[in-house]
Amino acid sequence: MRVHYYPGCTLKEKATNLEDSTREAMARLDTDLVEPEGWTCCGAEYPLITEKIHGLIPPVRILRQVEIEEGSKVVTTCAFCFAVLKRANKAMLDNPTLHTRVNEYLADDILIDPTTKEKRTHFESYNGDVQVLHLLEYLRDEVGLGHLKSLVKRDLSHIKVAPYYGCRLLRPQKEVAIDDPETPTIFEDFLNAIGCTVVDFPFKQECCGSYLSASMPETSNEPSYRVLNSAKMNGANVVALSCPLCYYNMDTRQDRIKEEYLEFNGFPVLYFTQLLAWALGADVETLGLDKHLCDPRPLFDIKQNAEDVEVNL
Amino acid sequence: MSEEKVKSKDELVPIFFMGKCYEVPSSLTIQKALEYAGYQLVRGCGCRGGICGACGTVFRYPDSYKIEVGLACQTVVQPNMYIAQLPFFPGNKATYNIADLEPNGSVFTALYPELYKCIGCGTCTRSCPMDIDVLGYMSKAIRGDIEGVAKGSFDCVMCGLCSGRCPAEEVQFYIAILARRLYALHMQPRSAHLKRAINSAEEGQWTEGIAKLKAMNLDTLKKVYSEREMEPHMGPEDWIPGDTNYVNVD
Repeated sequence: MRVHYYPGCTLKEKATNLEDSTREAMARLDTDLVEPEGWTCCGAEYPLITEKIHGLIPPVRILRQVEIEEGSKVVTTCAFCFAVLKRANKAMLDNPTLHTRVNEYLADDILIDPTTKEKRTHFESYNGDVQVLHLLEYLRDEVGLGHLKSLVKRDLSHIKVAPYYGCRLLRPQKEVAIDDPETPTIFEDFLNAIGCTVVDFPFKQECCGSYLSASMPETSNEPSYRVLNSAKMNGANVVALSCPLCYYNMDTRQDRIKEEYLEFNGFPVLYFTQLLAWALGADVETLGLDKHLCDPRPLFDIKQNAEDVEVNL
Repeated sequence: MSEEKVKSKDELVPIFFMGKCYEVPSSLTIQKALEYAGYQLVRGCGCRGGICGACGTVFRYPDSYKIEVGLACQTVVQPNMYIAQLPFFPGNKATYNIADLEPNGSVFTALYPELYKCIGCGTCTRSCPMDIDVLGYMSKAIRGDIEGVAKGSFDCVMCGLCSGRCPAEEVQFYIAILARRLYALHMQPRSAHLKRAINSAEEGQWTEGIAKLKAMNLDTLKKVYSEREMEPHMGPEDWIPGDTNYVNVD
């Protein structure tokens, strides 16, 4: 099975644990991930002022490239990339003015084949025909959670996972939501399929602080702390998520959270793909667990015995 | 471009250089046409062979809005083209000692923080006379892929046309050469046989042979040279000469 995959810049540098575990897991699902040739940054954030079309040019070009390479769908794991691609795609479907303006701009593109050096200067309009899927959707709709469950090689029932949706998988509802934005279950269903113990907690859709950690860093301490603390209070021993920015706020910046909340002594955060790859039998070395600030490795005890697992909380 | 009937080789065609019309032979490149018109090219003219990138040129045909690009030494004149040359582009060039730089992904944004201003418009790719996917390698620079930038920009001739048209004021060509330098210094696999050859030269493998050649008078030297054993035109790949005194057989 061959499917187009848009990793996004962050997965190639900062979030290599998300990239590596995604590739490891998909290889175990016999799926070849194909990156569209010449892919660029998607823009990271969907433009709020769509009259200025330049924010739509990169994501639409990426989607058009998938179509040129005869792909009908593109899968992403980064929640931000997913939201940008999906909203840009929807704009091409729903907004004739944007459709015309973006396509008129992109018509002057030059596409150069990296091997043959052949130049392509003629492009069909992109009409929003590529399906943008988050990996969780791909697993639910294309692989099938029942089938996924049958492929699980390890017992993960000792891992009590709090699924954290954040904002970008669910909002804005009409444009991106991969599930009901108020009572989503797609993440829980996925975790159940791979055999984790799912922990419900009230902060699963709350904001982690998002880009505040770039402009006003300390402001993101509180929202991130509230999510982690809520997961812990509800009996989880790890938070799982799909967004590199949520991960940055909730794991990479945990030392700063500890400075502000003295009673907080750390809580592990995982990408859902790390759990997926692990469940499918991947070697622990392929998961990038050494990159985490709060060490999640005690959860991956190969003895698979709940009694042996002591998370350093 | 309008459909022109095929011109004979020495037919004159009008071109506009910096707004002034000149009649030049239709078979000339822009560079030769300028010299034909009386310009003496001191700057903006280097190798004349499409490699050095000194003669980056922008032009436009009268019935089109599109700004086209090319190297003056490689682009043949077309009737009624409007031409301006860009002999030098004053892009922001970071100062660094390549030996002091770590070949990690953040090297580009450390030296050229404006890299993150890239909006992905693709004008750079449209402006490249060497048909390089400039946006492609700039995207790789943003994600810290030194090897990707080095290989993707290999054909760059440093003309600066990409930078000249960039709305984010990036210096694509300087970022590209930084990547190629880093790649060459830190990442490119080293040639093992080169190292062995240098070692054996230093150990005196050629000392005797060179001394013998140096001692010969000119006529003997010419005779030895013209009678040397030559590699056959269609020889096998692993061909070596019978006398290996002057050849490193590795």
